[in-house]
Amino acid sequence: MERTERLLDLVALLLDAREPISWAELRDAFPEDYQASSDEAAERKFERDKAELLELGIPIAYVQGDDDRKDGYVVDREAYYLPEVGLTPQELAVLYAAGSAALASGAFPGRSDLAHALRKIGFFAGTEVPTPRVRMEWGAVPPALEQDLGQKLEQLWNGSATRKSVELSYYSPRSGQTTSRRVDPYGLAMRRGIWSLVGFCHLRQGIRTFHLHRIRALKVNPLKPKTPDFDVPSDFRLDEHVASYPWQHRIHAPVDVTLSLRGEISKLAPRLFPDAKVHSEGSSSRAVVTATYTDGLLRYALSLSPDCSVLGPPAAVERWSQMTARILQAHETACPAIGASA
Amino acid sequence: MPGDWSIGVSDVHERLRRLLFLVPYISKHPGISVEELARALSLGTDQLLKELEILTMVGRPPFQPDDYIDIYVENGRVYVDLDQRFSAPPRLTAAEATALTAAAELLKPAAGGALESALAKLEKVLPAEVRRQYRDMGRKIDASVQGPPELALLAKAIADRREASFAYYSHGRGAVEQRQVRPLELFSHRGQWYLHAYCLSRKDERLFRLDRIRDLAVTNTPFERGNGRRPMVPNPAGAAKEVKVRFSEVVAPYIRERFGQHVRALEDGGAEVNVAGDSERWLVQWVLSFGGEAQVVEPEWARRLIAQAAAAAAAH
Repeated sequence: MERTERLLDLVALLLDAREPISWAELRDAFPEDYQASSDEAAERKFERDKAELLELGIPIAYVQGDDDRKDGYVVDREAYYLPEVGLTPQELAVLYAAGSAALASGAFPGRSDLAHALRKIGFFAGTEVPTPRVRMEWGAVPPALEQDLGQKLEQLWNGSATRKSVELSYYSPRSGQTTSRRVDPYGLAMRRGIWSLVGFCHLRQGIRTFHLHRIRALKVNPLKPKTPDFDVPSDFRLDEHVASYPWQHRIHAPVDVTLSLRGEISKLAPRLFPDAKVHSEGSSSRAVVTATYTDGLLRYALSLSPDCSVLGPPAAVERWSQMTARILQAHETACPAIGASA
Repeated sequence: MPGDWSIGVSDVHERLRRLLFLVPYISKHPGISVEELARALSLGTDQLLKELEILTMVGRPPFQPDDYIDIYVENGRVYVDLDQRFSAPPRLTAAEATALTAAAELLKPAAGGALESALAKLEKVLPAEVRRQYRDMGRKIDASVQGPPELALLAKAIADRREASFAYYSHGRGAVEQRQVRPLELFSHRGQWYLHAYCLSRKDERLFRLDRIRDLAVTNTPFERGNGRRPMVPNPAGAAKEVKVRFSEVVAPYIRERFGQHVRALEDGGAEVNVAGDSERWLVQWVLSFGGEAQVVEPEWARRLIAQAAAAAAAH
């Protein structure tokens, strides 16, 4: 019998049963599957089936009998059926909007799980859910490569969910090199349209962050898929390893940089630097930003100039002067070669 | 909901949960058309009919005629005899709940309280063991788009089809202008949120960056939605664009990642791209944002603009 069919039959049998079903009865019910081979092989086969059912959320368990009932396998019907969750139409619409936006984005880990989840929560909703008018485009890779990105996301999501190590070859734009490494995938994060893998890198012997679009090849450890390869440290926090803004790349120790914002930009300060302490005085503001990559912050600030400039510390002011001097030099005269002054 | 969702998930797993959903769904919608059912399951009709065929072979031992699921297609409509065993689909699995929550993160600021309460309700119906797994998996994914607070109001204005007004900081002009719009769609591109709307002031459809909107107010003026097209965020690069920008070896790899085919490699390891010059302000800010690693080669007017801007920045 085909496996899908056998598993469905098992569910039908167990959901219907009034009392626990013993192993002997199961073997009788599926002679072709659980009797054709040795006892041991048959038991292993059943264990694999049981594991698959558990993964599907089917609460199958073995119960020890007592005076009133015999030993055997049961499915707890209470725990099996999806109950009416009682979502309001607004709650349902919001979940649908979020889910559909993620699915439509072309690359989202657990797409298949997400699609099923949306169907299930919609099961009790009588009416059609309106089409959400929200959309996501990651834009980190050209659309043609999005499917590739989606595939990597699925592989890495499976790897981190089942705690299996991955082998990846990774391109670093900083060094221009592609290196092969073994990584324990701790988790996936998306910031400003870019998906990152955070994990323990065996090559560097530390936690590292990898942009998915720079992973050139990827393979999940195929050995013993049900046995985890690693543990995630209990104090691990994804958020501590991914940068949301260009000044958060952890290139150096945190430095508080003070920026001055003037004119129209002044009122937008809390928006432009969401993690900053902002003080407004009249038509200007000061924003104190904690940076772990000052150059990233200064470049961003330069793009807001002349309404934005740096007030301190002196090292950041000095760096600002270097940058502006270099831009000036490159554009003042008749086109010298770039990089000569670096 | 397009695309191939089966990637990475074993075929058996995927089919089983589809089939376990199918039976309750059909008994809830007796006589549903094959096409409609296929749509609900995101399957082709051929694939759906194959799945239905399998279901007719599912039953419980000893497999007497009455032991089979009684499912049939008649005149393009699907029926199942009331089957108590499959009256509702199985609960959410840990992976399903996690995926849903991760997706919900994308809309977090937009959806406000409704999202929080929905997720709380869903978590409550997870069996204890599944809830434990769900919490563990939740630590492994974090898709945050960091939308501004205006998302919530705008999402509602779009749904209710109400005109909105706001002050908009136009980067191109460097000025704030009052706009009255018919909001059509919200979308996030490269992590930046945009509102696609019909602008009543400009009498045309426009894209507005949400981080440049202030003093948003939703009016009571209703409007009818037309057949809107889907706007794209323009790609500034292209061979025919007038401004030639050269990048140092340090930033060239990032430029290649960003602009791909539009990039020309230079002998010294640098890179060159042509970009649009129609928004002078954008051009200046973009070049400045490379902190000296980018240089406009031509035209001369663009070089002068950059030099002026750098001088102004240096003066502060």
